[in-house]
Amino acid sequence: MRNRLKINRILSIMLLSTIFLSSCSFNSSNIDSDVNAPVAEHEDTAQVSSKSDNLVRSAVDFDHELDDYKPKKDHYNFYFTYKTIHPWWDAVALGMEDAQRQYLEKGITITYEYMAPEAASAEDQKKRLLEAKDRNFDVIGVDVADDVIISPILDEMVDSGDKVMTFSSSDAVDGCKRIAYVGNTHNYEDGADLTKALCEKLGYKGKVAILVGSVGAPCHEDRARGAKDTIAQYPDMEIVATEYDMDSVDLAYELTMNILKDNPDLDGIICCNMSNPVGAARAVIETGSSTVIVGMDHAQEALHYLKDGVIYCLGVQDCYSIGFDTIQTAVKIADGNKPGDLFKEKTDEITTVIYQEDAAIMLELLYGDD
Amino acid sequence: MAMIISNAILSSKQTVSATNEAVSEVSSFYLEAMADRRAKTITNLINSNFDHMEKAVAYINNEKIGSEEELRATLGNIKSLLSLDRFALVDDDKIVHTQYTTYTGGSRHDFLSDEKMDEKSVSTVSIYGSAKQLCLAAPTPDLSIAGKRYRASFVQIDVGEIVNLLAFEDEGRTYFGLYSKNGENISGTELGPYVSKHNLFTAIGNVIDEKTLNENRDNFFNAVEGSITYIANGTEETLVYVPIEKTDWMMVVLIRESVIQDRIRSISERSLTTSKRQIVFTVVFSALFFLVLLFMLKALSKKDLEAEKANSNNFRNMANTDSLTGVRNKHAYSEAETYLNQKIRQNEIDKLALVVCDINGLKIVNDTLGHAAGDKLIKEACSLICEHFTHGAVYRIGGDEFVVILQEKGFDTMLEVIDDINRAIEESIKKKEVVIAIGYSELTKQDQLVHDVFERADQMMYQRKQELKQMGAPTRL
Repeated sequence: MRNRLKINRILSIMLLSTIFLSSCSFNSSNIDSDVNAPVAEHEDTAQVSSKSDNLVRSAVDFDHELDDYKPKKDHYNFYFTYKTIHPWWDAVALGMEDAQRQYLEKGITITYEYMAPEAASAEDQKKRLLEAKDRNFDVIGVDVADDVIISPILDEMVDSGDKVMTFSSSDAVDGCKRIAYVGNTHNYEDGADLTKALCEKLGYKGKVAILVGSVGAPCHEDRARGAKDTIAQYPDMEIVATEYDMDSVDLAYELTMNILKDNPDLDGIICCNMSNPVGAARAVIETGSSTVIVGMDHAQEALHYLKDGVIYCLGVQDCYSIGFDTIQTAVKIADGNKPGDLFKEKTDEITTVIYQEDAAIMLELLYGDD
Repeated sequence: MAMIISNAILSSKQTVSATNEAVSEVSSFYLEAMADRRAKTITNLINSNFDHMEKAVAYINNEKIGSEEELRATLGNIKSLLSLDRFALVDDDKIVHTQYTTYTGGSRHDFLSDEKMDEKSVSTVSIYGSAKQLCLAAPTPDLSIAGKRYRASFVQIDVGEIVNLLAFEDEGRTYFGLYSKNGENISGTELGPYVSKHNLFTAIGNVIDEKTLNENRDNFFNAVEGSITYIANGTEETLVYVPIEKTDWMMVVLIRESVIQDRIRSISERSLTTSKRQIVFTVVFSALFFLVLLFMLKALSKKDLEAEKANSNNFRNMANTDSLTGVRNKHAYSEAETYLNQKIRQNEIDKLALVVCDINGLKIVNDTLGHAAGDKLIKEACSLICEHFTHGAVYRIGGDEFVVILQEKGFDTMLEVIDDINRAIEESIKKKEVVIAIGYSELTKQDQLVHDVFERADQMMYQRKQELKQMGAPTRL
């Protein structure tokens, strides 16, 4: 009997051991909890050449930091006025707001007005400046609507003790007493560069038209001059029309339609501002013309036309940097500094000519648009 | 053991299969719930901001604001009080007033293009620099500051901030994105590795048919929810989209079912491998266990089974032994009788004789001298019988009756032994010692049972008992 008990005990232990081991195997399937981490199989379906990517990314610099200059006050109040309400200056405004935020993080409050009329007008600008003159701003900044009309006003303001600077796209005339200029210093060259690209595309022969922005606007006029001087270099090229759209896309469209109507064999259009190429492209698409368009700036619609091949090339200015540097320079001017080591008398900002292969990256960079 | 192992394998395989089915079944439902949850988060954010904007305008109305500087200070207070980071007012000249800037914003804010703002609006603003904002604007018909009428208030919410709100933990199983009516990615989030940040319809246009593509385009345009399943780069992906109330956005959530299935399958296979290892371990362990057990049992059985056998013999002897005399008892005689009867039937026995012995005067001794004296008499009788029938089996089958079974040598010497014991008995009569009446008989060819032989021997014993009586032997009669 005692032996039987011993055998039963051994068999029981064996059975329990087996069950335990089996249950261990089941439990092990529940232990594994490695269910995380999304699988990242990045496949870039929009492969582009690094050359194009570098070109576009260096065209507009969104990554700015204030320099080491220590402002003397903790609050500055500025006034800026520009040619006309237009997306180009909205881009400049974003750079200004970035600088304002960075100063705020350092405990320095920057307040400012950033004003423009619905349509470019030197008279309107003159009126704004004279009003601002009496409001005790630390610095008054001007994107000159007409250098002949505005420059004397600026001289008067400086003479009366106001700190005045020019910014964005248009400086005053040479010899103006304004303290400094931040913006495009090579509008003439920009116009020339775009025109050279067009001439090369056309084989240095053919009829072209020039669309300009506002009458008297230095940047627009300078580009138009650059364009005309370049065309003059090639005897087989002819300028058949020069028109001003007054920074209106609709007017640019109408003007182009008329030019094409009068010159159905038009080979190219040189556009000197932001609204020109958009209006011109709309007209070219509508008429089915094969006219080659070269133009300025980064309008989203224009970039799409560039991407689609309607526009041949665009000169893109670094608006963001213009805005950022304008505020930084204004602070230094407000503190009584003069051009020199702290800032240049003319702070040059770049313009980059981009082509169809660069359009997608530029659209993504500027508008997150693919 | 075999059942447990089979069970383990079967269960693992069933788990893999069931999990795969479950993933397919629940994924759409899961995605829809995820998309709804995120869409409501945005709607709640919009409602909350509109509420705060109303409170902000009411606050401004109560302030006595006389200048741009005071307005900026008030807007700063609102930022602190109501957490409206980018709250702004727009006056009738479409000039925007914020805490730090005053600017002409006609080209910057689409909603300002309306000559008259009658109701709240929600719009998406693409900002130079690729950032996108959600702009919430509300008319302010009763707001005037320093004699100037204000037409609207608005806030701008960075889409990046909204994305942060939506990025709740789901163990990385899903991707999500905010999309415009035309499929443009607004949130800047990757909708999986295939669609990535591209226009949704441009991306999936290559992997779904045109009809399906157009149906889903229509859904987006008309703010109708829906779902699409397609295979991209060998991986099945399912996306679900739901319109976001008060916006023209679509919330899109995507799950890569195959990835999840692969991962679950991988996990299950690893579990299965683990189970198999456990099974192998179990088998090896059990085999070793059985070997040890076998060894132990063998050692145990050799020693203890021998003892068991000895004990068994003892029990058997005890059952078959007369406790008083030590010779075999009636039970043993019955077993022997049965055995011999079988041999007789099979005709396998030829030498068999029975000797029946009966003690004379036992009752007189018991009655007169007591049972102890009777027992002593029985023992003396037994000793006398055993001393003579040394080649026979002696049985005590009654109180005073013994049977001796004689075979082989005992059979051959039976008559001599009987003569010797009868002489000794006759001497005992004279000495007044134990007297035994003996009868005997041999197996004949007519006998079918041992009992036949016994009957003849018993009769002879009674005859001998008469003879002994005549010789003076004690008797109860």
